This record gives sequence, C-alpha cells and structure tokens, in this order.
Amino acid sequence: MSKGSRDRADKARRIVEQQKAAEKRRKVTLWTSVAVVAVLIIAGLIGYTTLSKQDSASTGALVTPSAAADEGTAFAVGTGPITVDIYEDFMCPICNRFEQQSGATLKSYLTSNKITLRYHPVSILDGASNGTKYSTRAAGASAAAAEDGKFTEFHDVLYANQPEENSDGLSNAKIIELAKSVGLTSDNFANAVNSGTYEAWATKVTETFASRGYTGTPTIVINGKQLVGPGDTLPTDALLTQTLDKAAG
Amino acid sequence: METTTRPAVWPWISTLARLGLAAVWLIAGATKVDDLAESARAVHAYQLMSYDAAKVVGGVQPFLEIALGLLLLIGLSTRLTAAISAVLLVIFIAGIVWAWSQGLRIDCGCFSSGGELGAGRDTEYGLDILRDLGFLALSGILLWRPRSRFSIDGVLMGESS
Repeated sequence: MSKGSRDRADKARRIVEQQKAAEKRRKVTLWTSVAVVAVLIIAGLIGYTTLSKQDSASTGALVTPSAAADEGTAFAVGTGPITVDIYEDFMCPICNRFEQQSGATLKSYLTSNKITLRYHPVSILDGASNGTKYSTRAAGASAAAAEDGKFTEFHDVLYANQPEENSDGLSNAKIIELAKSVGLTSDNFANAVNSGTYEAWATKVTETFASRGYTGTPTIVINGKQLVGPGDTLPTDALLTQTLDKAAG
Repeated sequence: METTTRPAVWPWISTLARLGLAAVWLIAGATKVDDLAESARAVHAYQLMSYDAAKVVGGVQPFLEIALGLLLLIGLSTRLTAAISAVLLVIFIAGIVWAWSQGLRIDCGCFSSGGELGAGRDTEYGLDILRDLGFLALSGILLWRPRSRFSIDGVLMGESS
C-alpha cells in the first residue's frame, strides 16, 4: 500500500469514527432531554396531585362552627352599623401589637354599639412554629371557644400569652389550660382542641382571606375598605379612631 | 472538543456552576415544599394572577425546583436543564421588577415562603435581582460550556471524568 492510500484510509476511518461519535452524542442528547422533560412533567404532576389532595382533605374534614358569620369565616362581636373586619394570626407579633394598641378602643366602640367586629382567625404563619402549626391549632381552638360563646375572652388570653415566632408555639395542653382560666371548661372545647376539629375550617378562613386579595396580618377592613397607615404601616390608634368616627358620620 | 493538551479548566468551572445551581434550586424548593398553601399565597402576593391560578403555580413550582435541582446535581442533559433554569430565573426577575415597579411591599418569596412584609421591614428588590442575576450567570456558564465532571452526561458520552 502506498503512503498516500494509507493516509486516505486513515482519514476515512477517522471520519467514520467522528460520525459515529457525533451520532452517539446526538442520541445521548436526545434521550437525556426526553428524560429531563419526563422528570419535570412528573414533578409537576406530583405537585398538582399533592395540592389537590390537600384541598380535598381539608374540605373533607371541614366542620364550620355554627357561630361563624361572613360565609362562615368570621366571628362577629356586637351589632353596630359599622363593620370592622380584622384578619389576624395568633402567631403574628404585629397583630399582638395592634391588640395591645387598639383592643381597648375597639371594645369601647363595641360598648357604645357603633361597630360590629368580625374576627377572622387566619393561619398564615404555620411555618413559624417548628412544624407544630400553632397558627392553625390556635385558630381552630378559637372556633371551639366561639361555639362555647367565649371567643373574645379566649382571643384576648391567647394574645396575652403569645408565644415567640419560630418557637414551638403553645402546646394543646397549654391552650386548654389558658382557656380554663377564662371559663372555657367544657369537654367539648378540650376535645375539639385535641382532635383538631376546626383545623380544616382555619385553612378555609385563610383561603378566603387570600382569595380576597389580602396578604398580610393584621389586615383591618372598615366597611369594606382596608385601613393602613402611611407607607403601608400598622394604622395608629388615632387613625383608627378617626376612621371609625368618620364612618359613623 | 478540546483541542489543547493542557488540562481543561472549563469542565471544572462548569462542574462548580452545575453544583451551585443545583443547590440553589434544591434549597429554593425545599423551603417551600412543606407549606404549599403558603407558597400559593406568596405567588398570589405578586398580584399577577387569580388566587386559583396562584394556587396551582405555588403548588407545582416547589416540586419543579427540586426536580431541576436533582437533575443538575446528577448532570443529566446539563444544557437543557441550564436553559430551563435560565428561563425560570428570567421569569422570577421579571416578577420582582414588576413588584418593584408596582410598589408592592412583598418579600420575593424565593428563599422563604414570602408573602407581604410586616410594617417596618424593608423590601430588598435590588439585592433579590442581583442575586438572581448571579444565578442566571451560573446558568449561562452551563449553557455555553455544558461539559462538566462527575456528570451522567459525561458517563453516557463515554468521556473520562
């Protein structure tokens, strides 16, 4: 074989090898891409089914407290003409600050029968209690308290004993003990707390809150209009009083 | 195909980019996956879609992020996963820019479940965007030089790794 033809044979073999390698790369690229797309579709489906399962699980076990107003998502106190909706999370420190700041003001408006106060116990801070879902447990317990006619008392004692954010929250036993101190002594109440009777309901309240376009707590709504301080801050007590007086006309 | 004989540096840089981006997605997904309702509310806080749509996006997104993270971790079809990462990051950056331009006061919902900020907390849109641009750069490296060490791609291609 001449040198020239050997070179040509080498060259031909190299070209064939390169083509084979390119073909292999194409195949690998194709099949790995198919695998990636399949994995992502499966992951999406897992997410979707997890979501729908959670939805049906919560509606399946839904027990709406008979005392609830506003499509069964709030507890109304008083019968005054101005409607004040308060969306609160029992774990939320700013809600507690609002309660300390304006709780007395709201009570005086209730006493003079100027407002109807509707409490919406939402649970958006379940992630802030080390997995014990304190927000949901507390909101559910408040529904049980409402069934026994002591929502306000229970609400106040929970805020007075609010756990630190990112702690375990109050245990069910502690919640029941605090409830006893405000006269909630029924077995019904303790059972509802221990078996989480109203927890699915708390989730529903939170869904309603979110679907109304509210995102933070506390959200204070007076006659359908959200009240915020300047720069989206917590409204001061003065601003609250002013707004309520204006609404009263 | 490397034409030089000196040890290739790019596969190592790409390896770091790949593992870094994998960590980003895995952490981003893991912090959201335990509370899908919260994740949905975080999406809804951008006010870009109805609550029902936000619920689906918020529920599916964490799983997609984790899947993408795992795929990058094992290095399967690196160029495609990098491209998908880049598309998602561009969408996220657009979302943050939108929230910023609308004056929405939300936490971006990237590494926690987000939601609206309480009073007295500042938004950090600028930092959020810079961080996402950094992640976008990692995707860019992988799009440009997808070959990396310790990857399934490498094994399947029959490259020594």
